[in-house]
Amino acid sequence: MSDTAATLTQDRQKLEMAALSAPAVVFTVAMIAFPVVYTIWLGFQTFSSTGKQSFAGLANYSTLISDVEFWHGLWITIALFVLSLVLQLVFGVWLALVLFHAKRLPGIVRSLFISPFMMPPVVAGMMWLVILDPSLGAANYILQSFGLPPSDWLASPTWVIPTIALIDSWQWTPYVALIVLGGLQSLPPSVYEAAQIDGASPFKTFRRITLPLLLPTIVTAAILRSVDLLRFFDIIYITTQGGPGNASNTLNIYGFRVGFEFFNIGYASALMLTLTAIVFGAVLAFNRLRGAVAW
Amino acid sequence: MTDAADTDRWIRRLNLVQLVLAGLLIMAPTVWMVLSSFKPSFEVTAYPPTLVFTPTLENYVELTRTTPFLSYALNSLIVTVGSTALGLLFGIPAAFAVSWTRISWPAILTLAARMAPGTLFLLPWYVMFRQVGMIGSYTALILSHAVITLPIVIWVLLPSFDGIPRSVFEAAQVDGCSVTRILWRIALPLVASGVAVSAILAFVFSWNYFLFALVLSNGDTKTLIAAAFNFIGEGSTQWGALMAAATLIALPPLVLAALVQRWLVSGLTLGAVKG
Repeated sequence: MSDTAATLTQDRQKLEMAALSAPAVVFTVAMIAFPVVYTIWLGFQTFSSTGKQSFAGLANYSTLISDVEFWHGLWITIALFVLSLVLQLVFGVWLALVLFHAKRLPGIVRSLFISPFMMPPVVAGMMWLVILDPSLGAANYILQSFGLPPSDWLASPTWVIPTIALIDSWQWTPYVALIVLGGLQSLPPSVYEAAQIDGASPFKTFRRITLPLLLPTIVTAAILRSVDLLRFFDIIYITTQGGPGNASNTLNIYGFRVGFEFFNIGYASALMLTLTAIVFGAVLAFNRLRGAVAW
Repeated sequence: MTDAADTDRWIRRLNLVQLVLAGLLIMAPTVWMVLSSFKPSFEVTAYPPTLVFTPTLENYVELTRTTPFLSYALNSLIVTVGSTALGLLFGIPAAFAVSWTRISWPAILTLAARMAPGTLFLLPWYVMFRQVGMIGSYTALILSHAVITLPIVIWVLLPSFDGIPRSVFEAAQVDGCSVTRILWRIALPLVASGVAVSAILAFVFSWNYFLFALVLSNGDTKTLIAAAFNFIGEGSTQWGALMAAATLIALPPLVLAALVQRWLVSGLTLGAVKG
């Protein structure tokens, strides 16, 4: 009797729990899962200029393989990803060490440090567009007053990708730094003390002790940044729209333009699914790396 | 002994220099943006750039006069508040259920939106919303932005709910409280600060989001971020107004972030790092 009563309450509890998650689950299925399935289906369709759609099999994917612009976009995406990630991780770890040794950080200083990545990337783009203007911008004035040659920055096909990487790194290095700082603060102080007693130099302590212990945190930061960097959009779209020419036409920008400027929804779907596979692949790879450096 | 103290002092000074240098690199562009927004129009494009000038509000006046800035701002507010409310409404119960039952797949499901490129959803949304005539509606914008806010709410709240001792719930259950009642009457007041942080983060990221409004809004519902292009168009000669727009758009997220800066990092990493 009491047994059935207990199962009854348990069943009721399970039901109530399901009811609590239901809105979030239903919403996510309706807004994400179902649309993704729909995108997969769209990837097998072609749309004629009159908007008539027909089944195309793998035509979109064979187009993709022979599309020079796709391979160019993939190359740009990877170049931007590697360049930005390296910049942000190196400077982020440096900044974290500096912050760590400063010990006490007043709230106002912390607020200033987080301000770049809490502002809209679109605003960062607007701001740097003015600073990096080839003829009237402050950046070139600073370069020239140090006797360095001015750059065309975003207007130069050669420099546009490094420049975008620089803007994104300005925005997100403090974020990486705060994550790594969290990792530093959770390390047991005893390891430093032991190293100090052994007379290890600060540099050696960092290379041999701090860095290996920090690696899992750094890989976590790398995962969080990779997800954003591989689908880089806002800053590029606001500053160059993929230009000059197609010099900053990443896969995400290219897919967006194919879909919403040329209205080739079928091909855009194929492009986006490919990019999504790349993002998930990178996350899985980094996750394995995190397993390998865990301690 | 004095030798060691000396080295110590030098290391500390060197560290301070690096800290100031980093602070300058981080702050300078933003300061430049704000300064430029207060410059008289002939001085914004002065070369070499000037640091000393008589501040003026003319760029801000110009901005509100030549663009529907205030109605864009209202659109941003409607979409952001709407999507944050929706995120909280769906996210709070879900986070509670995940924390209690330890069945985590609903939380992981919502993370998909954090990982996949937005265009992946935007393509089918565009096709679907167009079929039902919802392109340009606030509803479509709020629903799409709730995809951003929901995972933020769930993942920021999860550790907060996890932090409540189970005995609190068990005692309430013995007293015959239903699960729903426990959530609203007992658990929610205990995680009030977590709810505030999640709401602010959701607000900031919804406010900052660019892609969805770019396609799903129309002339009447355009958000500030999606309207940024209009300002750049105007701004090809009007840097002052452009920088005034940039400053105003960045203001709400920056002010809100400053309020919760202490809890921000653990929230932003979606539980990957305990800050």
